[in-house]
Amino acid sequence: MASQPVKLGSTALCALLLAGALPATSAEAALRVVAALPDVGDMARQIGGDRVEVVTLASGSQDPHRVPMKPSFVTKLNRADALVVQGLGLEHTFLPALLEVASNPKILPTGEAYIDASIYVRPLEVPTSQSRAQGELHPLGNPHYNLDPVQGKLMAKAIAEGLARVDPAGASAYAAGLARYSALLDQKIAEWDELAAPLRGVKAVSYHQDLIYLADRYGLELVGTIETKPGVPATPGHLEELVDTMKREQVKLVIREVAYEMPLAQTVAERTGARVATISTLAGGLPGTESYVDSIEANLKALVQAVQGGASG
Amino acid sequence: MEFHRARALLRAAPALLLATAAAAATSDDDLASVRAELAATKSQLAATQSALARVESRLDELESGAAAPEQASSGPRIPPVNINNPAISLVVDTALKTDTHGSGWDFALQSGELFISAPIDPFLRGYASLAGSSEEGFDIEEAAVITTSLPWNLTVKGGRFFADVGRFPHWHGEQLPFVDRPPSIGRLIPGESRAEGGELSWLAPTEHYFRVTAGIYNSIGETDELPPTVGSEGSRGFDQLTWLVHPSTYFDLTDTLNLELGGTFATIADRGARYLYGFDATLRHQPGTSEFYQGFVLGSEWYWNNEEFQDVVEIGTDPDGNPIFGNERFRRNGGYGYLETFLSRSYSLGARFDYAEEPFGPVDRQLTYSTFATWYPSEFQRLRFQFDQIDQRHARNDQRFTLQWTAFLGSHAHGFATR
Repeated sequence: MASQPVKLGSTALCALLLAGALPATSAEAALRVVAALPDVGDMARQIGGDRVEVVTLASGSQDPHRVPMKPSFVTKLNRADALVVQGLGLEHTFLPALLEVASNPKILPTGEAYIDASIYVRPLEVPTSQSRAQGELHPLGNPHYNLDPVQGKLMAKAIAEGLARVDPAGASAYAAGLARYSALLDQKIAEWDELAAPLRGVKAVSYHQDLIYLADRYGLELVGTIETKPGVPATPGHLEELVDTMKREQVKLVIREVAYEMPLAQTVAERTGARVATISTLAGGLPGTESYVDSIEANLKALVQAVQGGASG
Repeated sequence: MEFHRARALLRAAPALLLATAAAAATSDDDLASVRAELAATKSQLAATQSALARVESRLDELESGAAAPEQASSGPRIPPVNINNPAISLVVDTALKTDTHGSGWDFALQSGELFISAPIDPFLRGYASLAGSSEEGFDIEEAAVITTSLPWNLTVKGGRFFADVGRFPHWHGEQLPFVDRPPSIGRLIPGESRAEGGELSWLAPTEHYFRVTAGIYNSIGETDELPPTVGSEGSRGFDQLTWLVHPSTYFDLTDTLNLELGGTFATIADRGARYLYGFDATLRHQPGTSEFYQGFVLGSEWYWNNEEFQDVVEIGTDPDGNPIFGNERFRRNGGYGYLETFLSRSYSLGARFDYAEEPFGPVDRQLTYSTFATWYPSEFQRLRFQFDQIDQRHARNDQRFTLQWTAFLGSHAHGFATR
């Protein structure tokens, strides 16, 4: 038979575990929306307004490829009325496993409450072969399209339609929210075109292969990455090649995404006489950039500042 | 043209609303009709805004060259799945070992594991792992089906699988943060927590995470010879099956610090043949930063095993002088604690302490002090070095050195249970 201390310990443990299961009180919103990443979370909030209560799983400073799978995410997903994802496989390291245990079939990728913000985006850098010898490739194409605000408008459209599909009674509210948000983006896109004019034709290297959409929009010329291949850390040999290439091509801008370490970017910049610009691939990754609009603006300002002679970050 | 009309109407709308509001102030009698007019105007405004958004969106699409027509109404972007080819991965886990006992150098395939998984239908998914090693040959480690859409947050699993015992007992070897299974777990729950049976899990529908699993199995681990089989083909009485309950919960202490707690109770009811109690706690710091220091995991599990073993104690001799063995109950315990800290994106360092007792016979206490360092050249391969100082009561102390090289071929997804 079990000893008395063991029995007491077991009883205390069960009490503790059950106490944790007591429901917490919270204001009930019309639609509980879980956003996998901050950008789509902010857009859902802007479009849905008071009709939605949005919680976001990952934070902006996290590498979206390395978001920890917290059990508290499982309960959020379990109770969600809708799930908004950036898609194109960006959340593949954490979301599928969470959905597997969340016991909420309607937010599975085949469910009606799964809102994929990428559905109107034409993916770039879609791999022609899917060998791991090419690194950690996203089979559906580069998923960092949110860094181009024109793609951001398409994200907003997909999110508004998804919210209306899940909550048809609010369709007109979501349409109005989309109209307001699209107007804001239009205004900002015009401003950003002017702000980012100095970037056109500038050669740059980034830490990770995630800037193709940003580069296409604002005319940056991407020459290489600090990572050897997508998701594969830099090797000494690769860095030597990169430095040689940067010197040969006169590359004067190193773009370090905030989720990646600074020292290596600084080393590469110092060896090539380049400047480092720190940007974030997700809203909230830099101070004061909790919204998608603020995040895009902060990124462009950081890039322009570095190009015009100052370091950022 | 539609675009310009919509935009002009939108610009005029505020003036229209103001005029309507002014008229409403002139007479109380007209209040109802003005309200109706206001509602109708608002409705028109919403429709116009919607039309404007549609047109602007289309304009952006045309200007950006994005949104190919065939994609304009497509659904979620899901990687293509061939229903005839489930996700397949192969793990190669190899090691080089030596120790100061003079047993020499040993290259070993610790595990070569083929893992297959796929949805079966809208209600079920299945998986299997077929593993082989230098020491244990080739075997089906797991082959199980799991429900995916039961109501009330319930999940049912059936087949051969690793029973939901504690934390590490149900992890595959290559998923552990060490080169070996903690000796205490290896002694009290040998052969991982492999079981044939069924499990029912329930996730509490609350904001706080609480999950409980209840299971019933032939047995847990490799000690399948107990209790004695009855009837034919290894069947046994209902009270000789092994029952398990495993509640677990989780607390976000701060945004970056969290604590996970679990308890395990397993029993064989037949005359109290076995009681296994366990407790596991895991404290994680996950700052989500790009700094050199990237967090830590502090984890511990402890188990108490109270079990009656048959024919293990000499209770006398027969007339010919041959020993007669009888049953005896042993109360044994063991557990480990470890700390692993993550450095940069590719490295980790850790230390582990383990206290292990044999489940029966002499206590034979073993203390193991380990340090380990891991390097991830990429997401799909890992090199790990571990040093173990092994202090044993009834044997000479030993020092062991192990270099482990693990690679993942094909589909490679981290499961929630082994996060």
